[in-house]
This record gives sequence, C-alpha cells and structure tokens, in this order.
Amino acid sequence: MTVFKGFLTITKRNLSIVILYFAIFLTISFIIQKSSNPTETTSFSQERLNIAVIDRDGGKLAEGLTKYLGKFHNIKDIPDDQSILQDRLFYREIYYVVTIPKNFEYLCLEQGKKLPVTKVPGSTSGYYVDQQIQIFLTDVNIMVKSGFSLSDAVQKVQKNVSQKADVSLLDTNNANGETPDYAYMFQYMPYILLSILCYVLSFIMLSFMQPDMKKRMLCSAVSSRHQNLQLVLGFAVIGIGTWIICTLMPIFMYKREFLESANFHYYLMNSFCIMLVSLALAFLISMLVHHEDLISAVVNVITLGMSFICGVFVTLDIMNKTIKTLAHFLPVYWYEINNSLLSRNESLSPVQLSSLWKGYGMQLLFAITFLSVALIISKLKRQTEQ
Amino acid sequence: MIHIENLVKRYGDLTALDHLNLDIKQGEIFGLLGPNGSGKTTVIGCLLALLKYDKGTITIFGKEMHPDSYEIKKEIGVVMQNVAVFEQMTVWENIDYFCGLYVKDKTKRKKLTEEAIAFAGLEDYKKMRPKKLSGGLLRRLNIACGIVHKPKLIIMDEPTVAVDPQSRNRILEGIAELNRQGSTIIYTSHYMEEVEQICSRIAIIDHGRVLASGTTEELKKMIKTGETITMEAVALSQKALADIRNLPHVFAISYENQILKLRLTSAKHNLIRILNYMQEHDITFGRVFSELPTLNDVFLEITGKELRN
Repeated sequence: MTVFKGFLTITKRNLSIVILYFAIFLTISFIIQKSSNPTETTSFSQERLNIAVIDRDGGKLAEGLTKYLGKFHNIKDIPDDQSILQDRLFYREIYYVVTIPKNFEYLCLEQGKKLPVTKVPGSTSGYYVDQQIQIFLTDVNIMVKSGFSLSDAVQKVQKNVSQKADVSLLDTNNANGETPDYAYMFQYMPYILLSILCYVLSFIMLSFMQPDMKKRMLCSAVSSRHQNLQLVLGFAVIGIGTWIICTLMPIFMYKREFLESANFHYYLMNSFCIMLVSLALAFLISMLVHHEDLISAVVNVITLGMSFICGVFVTLDIMNKTIKTLAHFLPVYWYEINNSLLSRNESLSPVQLSSLWKGYGMQLLFAITFLSVALIISKLKRQTEQ
Repeated sequence: MIHIENLVKRYGDLTALDHLNLDIKQGEIFGLLGPNGSGKTTVIGCLLALLKYDKGTITIFGKEMHPDSYEIKKEIGVVMQNVAVFEQMTVWENIDYFCGLYVKDKTKRKKLTEEAIAFAGLEDYKKMRPKKLSGGLLRRLNIACGIVHKPKLIIMDEPTVAVDPQSRNRILEGIAELNRQGSTIIYTSHYMEEVEQICSRIAIIDHGRVLASGTTEELKKMIKTGETITMEAVALSQKALADIRNLPHVFAISYENQILKLRLTSAKHNLIRILNYMQEHDITFGRVFSELPTLNDVFLEITGKELRN
C-alpha cells in the first residue's frame, strides 16, 4: 500500500487548503442563510412617505384623492408656492407633490389627462405614489361609468383600501413554507466539494503524473494495476472523507431538524452524487493540467463558473433563461434542481421522485463522462509515450 | 547478466535502434556513450520495458524482460536523468516511499532508508523538502531513491547533469562503492571523463547502433590516433605546414589562432621529430603538449562528431 500511503502523506501536506475551504464554506453558508431568510417573508410593513397635495380644485374627487393618499402616506401641509415646494423636495422633507388642478373631475375622468406631479428624480417611491393615484382614478372612473355617483364611487374606493385579504401559505415542506436552514448548506456544498477535491486531488495527481515519476514507478516491483488501484483508493478515501465532513456540518448544526427530515437520505444521496462528479472532474483536470501554477486558476474558473451559472450562490429562480439553458449542460445544475425540490417539499409525489432520480442519474452520467474522457486522454498519452 | 540481441525500435519512419546488440556482465560498470538522439535513452527505455520495441530480445538475469517481469524489476534500481521525487514529501519520506515499492517489511525498510541517507550524505537534510535542497543535494536524493532497495542492477541515466564538482565527485565515488558492494551498473553520461574514470566497459552508440565497445584501453587501440601534439607556434607558412604534414606518423593537422594541433599514429619519438623540425627551420614556438588519446578522440574518430554537440 505504499502508493496509497504516499497519496495520504501528500494529502496531509495540503490540509491547510482543505481547512481554509471548510472555513469559507461555513462562513458563506451562514451569510447565504442570513440573507435569504429575512423577516420580510413573515411580516410586511408598508412604507409611508411624506408627500404634499396642492388642491386647487376643492371638489369631491380632489378631496377623495387627498384622503385616499392620506391612508398610505403622511400628507404635509405646505403652501402652494413653487419655490417652497422645490426647497422641501431638495432637502427631502417631502418626496412627492401632487397638484390637483381646477376642473380636476373633468380633466382627469372625462379627458383622461394626467395629474401634474413633482417628485425626487429617480426615486422608486415616486413610482409607488404614481401607481396609487392611477389605481384611485381608474377605480373611480370605472365606478362612475358603471352608474355610481361620484361621491359613492369615491367612498367605495376608499372603503376598498381598508379591506384586508387573509392569505394562507400551503406548507409543503413542513417548515412553514420557508427554506430549511440546512438546505442552504446543501445549496452551497457543490462549490466546496468541487473546490477541495479538484484542487487537492489534481495537485496530488500532478506529482504522480510527472513523466519521470511515472517511469520510476513503472520500473518498480509493484504492478501498474496495483498502483492504479491504490490511487483509486486514495481518491475514494479523500472523496468520501470530504463528503462525510461536509454532511456532518448540517447534522451538527441543525441536529434533529435535519436528521428528522423526511428527505434526509435524499439530501445525502444528492451530495454523494456531486462528490462522485467532483472526483471524476478532479481526475480529468489532472490529466489536462501539467503545471502546478495552472491548477489553482483552472480549478477556480471551473468551480466558480459552474457555481455561479448553476445556482449555488444565486438561486436558479432568478436566473435568466439563457443561463438556465446553458446550466443544463453542467452537473451542478441537476444537483441544485434536486436540492431545490427537496427544500420545498417534505413529502415527494411520484412525479417529484422521478424528477429527483433523473437529477441523480444526470449527475452520475456527467461523472461517467468526465471519467471516460480522462481515461481516453490517459490511454492516448500512454500510446504516444510508447 | 544482460543480453540485448538485434533490438529494433522505430518511431514511425525514424529508426531509433537499429539491430542493436549488447552484452553486459555481472559486476561491471558499463558506460553508454552517445550524442543526443543516438538512442541511449531508448535502449534504457526498452531495457526497463517502458517502451515497446519492434524486434529483438532482451534478457536480464537470464530471463526475458517484459512489462510484467516484476521478479526482474525487483532487482533493478533506476536513477532517471531528471530528478523524480515528490515535492510535498521530506527527504526521508521520499526515500522510504521508493523503498516501499520494493520492500514490504517496515523494519527492513527503515534500515535500508537510513543506509541510503547515509550513502548519499543526506543525514542533515532528512526532514527537509526537496524544494529547499541545492541542485547537488537533489541529485543525491534522486540517486538515494533509486538505489535504496540495494538492487543487483542499477541503471543511471546521466545522474550528474547540472551538478557542482564537489557533489559530482561524491556521486562518482558512491557509484564506485555501489559497484564494490556487488551491483552491476549501467551508466550513461555526456561527460567522457566520468565515463573514463568509473566505467569498466564502454559502448559507443550512434544512430541506434553500437559502433564500438570494450574497455577504455581497447577502444583507444581501435582508433588511428596514438598521440595528439598541441603547440603554440607563431606565423607558420603554408610550406612549413605541408612539411609537418609529411613528417612520419602525422595524419591530421590543424593551425588556428597560432595553435598547431597534430594527430599522429602511435610511434616512438613523435614529439622529438616535431621539435627537431621546428629547430632546424628556426620556427619560434611556445608551450608544447603531448597527449595520449582520450575517449573524446575515440568518440570523434568513430562517430565523426564531438559528443557534446
């Protein structure tokens, strides 16, 4: 087992890199978890702006609009003076000024003209008030045209605003519709597995693949078959070891919450599949890259690139269509699809289960493809050397 | 011990080894001399079953050598031209690792590793990584890794390339010591002085064929040059050069930068004859050297080119 022991000795020398990546893993997992699990998902508070309404009409519609806006915002009493209004806007004492002209009812309801407004340039809150005015006028207009009197229409629109709709979320994942915390760790896991395994294993293999080292080993009394088997064993031990550490982290951190999850074994299988992909990819990289300096660059480009495209750092839901299509050709995409499915559903339907198995299958296919390409390259190299 | 018969190795249209024959006896330090591309490394590759060959047979210790001849490989140690050690392992770990490819017993391996470290003079560097070793120490580590299991046959492919004179002497002494301990050694080098110094027999290879083989003395007797005389002489006329060329036993003459170089066949009083001619014709001359043929002369005459070209 000399080759295997040598493999482990070199791994020990790279332990600092492994620890560094695990530290990054934990840190980023926490950051993603914190940023993706804000209180806004459980409560909502409407933003109230300071606005001014200059009513030059004084009619029922104008009065109604002022009251309507008052339900959403703080209406400041400011004189109808252009320079004063501009000063207040400049110093952000108010964010929006609505000027209701004379003959407001005729101009806006019958002629459909827009209200003259002044707002802080580029402010998103300005659009928010625009929309509210638009909704008020449209609703009143519809009601008036439907036969309601103006005062009834204004009253009904104001009443509608006061009504609240009760919303109940369907709890499909036994976590009140929220993504379980451990799912974030699994979301980020491909980056860590790929980085650690590709970097460490490519680095180790680089030593074993040096042409003179290969010759020296081939001249030895240990058959090349045994040497290869020991290298495979080395790969397996490092791969499984890293996978165990990665999966122990959510177990230690979330204990029963994770262990009692109905999808526990599916999560493990999913991460095991991506570990196999990482091992095959590491082997392929070691066949292609022959310089120590290049390994880090190549591994970073592959792992970071794949992680960004496939939804490790940013969820796939907000990716654009082209990127999603491109991601189909990468193994991490199928991992993240499975992870997303598991995090959203505590019990899986037959269709979801078949989708899950498809994801596992796709990852294994990628692993087999990477391995096959690496073996072909290895054989071609051997033939060239002979 | 090693018998190579009619070995042919082709790379496409290029014939690297052309019906090469070699016999190496037990206990020899056998030198393989040849310019770059002559086929030395290919011979070693075939010998170690690293390369497939098209024709011929190779027998080592009386058995035919194949890639899976592990019983034979167990008795062979290899020192490659380039240093082949693990950068991430210490000196001790490297030597122990390569020993482990041949010796399973841990106690025996530890003893052999310690001996190899002592042999290479690396006692003070056991815990150092190869990156921190000088070129000479690195070469010594490379050798220690190749010979740690005390093989019967050691193949060394230019082990002293880019090594300082002190380390080179130590390496050469070590090779002689290994030979005294009973190992047969095949040694390739560009440095003819080294080959001349340590090899008991030499084969000169070019274009994949053995052009000559034998002891240094035997090889020197094979060539026409018996003596080379070099002389500082000012302004020699064409007539004088022609006269000197016609003196008995002179067969080659060159005159460049006021240095006259003569090659003569082996005979008595060659130098006196040349000096008499100079005196009789009032030719001023300075320092004079007379040298017996070297391996370089042998190589030059047999292959028609300098070894280090």
